[in-house]
Amino acid sequence: MGGQSGPTMDSGDFIDESDYKSSAQAVKSSKTIQGGSSSLSGSESGKMMVGNGGPDSYEVVFVKDNVSVHPTQNASERISGRLRLIKQGASLFMTWIPYTVKGGGRQGSSIMKSAEKDRNLYTIRAVSLAEMRSIRRHTPPFGLQYIIIVLTSGLAFPPLYFHTGGVREFLSTLRNHALLVRSNDDSNVYLVNDVQDPLQRSLTSLELTEVTPVAVVVEPPPIVTKKDETVQPVEESPASTSMQTSVYRQGPRREASREIINVLEKFSMVTKFARDTTAHLFGESRLLGNSEMDFDRGPMRLRNEGSVSKSTGELPPVDGAQEPVKDGKEAAAKDEGKDTKKAQDEESEKQKRIANEEASTNVGSFELVDGTKNDTPALVWGRARPPPLGHEEWVTFLDREGRVVDSKALKKRVFHGGVEPNLRPELWKFLLGHYKFDSTYAERNALVSSKREEYKVLQAQWKTVSEDQAKRFAKFRERKHRVEKDVIRTDRTIPFYEGDDNRNVELLRDILVTYSFYNFDLGYCQGMSDLLSPILYVMEDESEAFWCFAALMERMAPNFHRDQNGMQAQLSALSKLVQLLDTPLHDYFKQNECLNYFFCFRWILICFKREFDYNDVLRLWEVLWSHYLSEHFHLYMCVAILKRHRRKIMDEQMEFDTLLKFINELSGHIELESTLRDTEALCLFAGEKGAACIPPGTPPSLPVVEVDPFAVSLESSQNL
Amino acid sequence: MCRLRDHAQGFRRRPFPDLSFFISSFRSFCQVLLGDMGAGKSSLALRFVKGQFFDYQESTIGAAFLTQTLAVNETTVKFEIWDTAGQERYHSLAPMYYRGAAAAIIVYDITNADSFGRAKKWVQELQRQGNPNLVMALAGNKADLASKKKIEAEEGQAYAEENGLFFMETSAKTAQNVNELFYEIARKLPKAQPAQAAGMTLTDRSASRLTPAKTTCCT
Repeated sequence: MGGQSGPTMDSGDFIDESDYKSSAQAVKSSKTIQGGSSSLSGSESGKMMVGNGGPDSYEVVFVKDNVSVHPTQNASERISGRLRLIKQGASLFMTWIPYTVKGGGRQGSSIMKSAEKDRNLYTIRAVSLAEMRSIRRHTPPFGLQYIIIVLTSGLAFPPLYFHTGGVREFLSTLRNHALLVRSNDDSNVYLVNDVQDPLQRSLTSLELTEVTPVAVVVEPPPIVTKKDETVQPVEESPASTSMQTSVYRQGPRREASREIINVLEKFSMVTKFARDTTAHLFGESRLLGNSEMDFDRGPMRLRNEGSVSKSTGELPPVDGAQEPVKDGKEAAAKDEGKDTKKAQDEESEKQKRIANEEASTNVGSFELVDGTKNDTPALVWGRARPPPLGHEEWVTFLDREGRVVDSKALKKRVFHGGVEPNLRPELWKFLLGHYKFDSTYAERNALVSSKREEYKVLQAQWKTVSEDQAKRFAKFRERKHRVEKDVIRTDRTIPFYEGDDNRNVELLRDILVTYSFYNFDLGYCQGMSDLLSPILYVMEDESEAFWCFAALMERMAPNFHRDQNGMQAQLSALSKLVQLLDTPLHDYFKQNECLNYFFCFRWILICFKREFDYNDVLRLWEVLWSHYLSEHFHLYMCVAILKRHRRKIMDEQMEFDTLLKFINELSGHIELESTLRDTEALCLFAGEKGAACIPPGTPPSLPVVEVDPFAVSLESSQNL
Repeated sequence: MCRLRDHAQGFRRRPFPDLSFFISSFRSFCQVLLGDMGAGKSSLALRFVKGQFFDYQESTIGAAFLTQTLAVNETTVKFEIWDTAGQERYHSLAPMYYRGAAAAIIVYDITNADSFGRAKKWVQELQRQGNPNLVMALAGNKADLASKKKIEAEEGQAYAEENGLFFMETSAKTAQNVNELFYEIARKLPKAQPAQAAGMTLTDRSASRLTPAKTTCCT
């Protein structure tokens, strides 16, 4: 009723149009991967490429089955699993994932119980090669071959037994991808990324395999970096690329000196990048001379302060800030004489100096590399990002009955690596809060079916409205009409939603109209179709998509309140964050009456849905929904993007109108991975001070529970 | 948000050489597109500024700002266009965009009677704002969908005349009357008006005053 057929031409953001062509293609390829999304049994073998060729794609370069851990002498308690080497970008990761215990697993025979626990305990989840110090091999003529891996943190994994051989193959694969040197002292020990000098060893441990991804990330986005020295200069990229070739392609027989040089090169790249980035993130305000934050307290210490922001409440910038400032100055100095090339002597001299400066932090950097504690802004860029969480690894997070044992670890994993497409339908339900982390398989199955029934009932509430009834039901007609107007122009260039009479567009409509009955007070608001579209795309099931959307709206509904209070709270928090993290930019906005931050309205209202291509939106959202560092990571992300363009904004003296135009036109030109890194660093850097900018209850935090005065009075009146 | 230019200097600071000094008759003015969701505001703007049209033009979230510089008669005119979100829910944000505008185009969809009703409410609201210099236009969009027409041109014309607006039926899809609409607005702007001060008022807006204090809902 009231449905308007035929093409609707309406308002919208023409700016985004061109971006959707490319995103459509990207989605096409990803959907192919997701093809068999219903069957989650991951049984890949041999080499495979995953991903769309973007920064998320990875390659399994080595697989070995029947590699086991022996918790006890008892042969029956061996845990068998699959060992893999995964190459993502230029980083190599090793995983060892125990096999799922078939049959007994879910039903829970008591014998399995301890084995289950062990499986979780021993699983090796995406250890970066950069975290490894050495590998000791044992290849006795009789008996099982095994390896022992020692991490730079000093920890060692239990021996991994190769039941069907393959240690040699494993090592030779490693050699193809990393520095592997046989120890002089013990020919069975292979030093990973090792060089003799302990200083350089510590440098190596700064996750140097990340050089190439860093460089890739650094490539300037198409439109924005023209004058923006805050991003690493373009000319660095080719250098790093060629370096990658030299590091990864050369055979195992290289002289140590060459290795040292390589390492130094790699280190210099990382340092250079870290300096530039920290300069642009933290240094600028100081450079411009009127920062309110005290950047100069205390020396930079790379010693592990990672958990500081969380545990002690001490502000990380205090410890982490001096370096950025110094770097900022250097970067600025460099800018002055900025021709494409610097004399090499000067450069190497500089590296030496930097190396010396870093030497004092030798011990600290070792600690930092301990994968669990490296949340320090300065190292965010250098850290290898693990490949997306896959099904096999996901299972290791669950106990026998399907409860997530350590939800914090899971969230962290998702935050850093995202989720494989075929795991999204399951995992998003947890992230969105539709599934409880401590629910069992059985409870979730029950929930799915009961919610399915409930959805049917909700839908029937409006599906059964007859035409005759609808004539007398203006509110209903209006609502349905509004939804229809928007769904027919939501993501129609994505294959999933394209074409006439597309069933998925109908599903979008049905879910949104049903939601407007489920939450009648809120109703339908523009922007909701943008939030639902990716959810339906991932879930592919009407009821599931509805409940996930409803769960999301529990957090995001205030964005759509008529009085705009939810948006107001977020925009005002954003204003405070910019004031904290970039005072000059804040002052600029103030001068130009842009402090309402309305130019970020779209970013926040629909969580950057219009700013990235479809696949990146999926990745971004799961990162945001992990709520790992902050529930308001998206606000820090606004700051990160604004900071990246601060120079252009101020140089061109943008005012509200031109600024809004500029921001809208960034759509499709924001590089996700580097933005996430910047955001993560900013978030850590801001620490408690940042959190203090965001009042409790600011969306998407769940509303602060208040006692409903009405409910109370009702109760008391009943008592009377 | 149409903004007052820098009073002291009387012109806008620009990052690059501003040729307007050398053109004897250069004017820029700010206008705003208002109307129901799906009426075709963004499509009209996009057709005028870029000559493009998309069947599935996305809804506008927040607002968009577009500019187009054209010669109108002997004068070079820079059109600064604010394109707003249509849903009534976001109505409270509209004043910050229309406040200070020199012109407003109120758009409705000729195939949708509700959108015409909503257009009338916009007209009333703008009249209440009491900017006597505001040039208002009423655009009955989607003229290409004549077979589904619910609002006859006469009706739109009559309403426009009563309220001192000028009226056109337009089609962003076929480009019918789109340029004419914008040109006509440019012609209607008071000639004597200095280029930079086309009836704009500056209001203090801070993050704490996101929502204009007094807005009436048009429901």
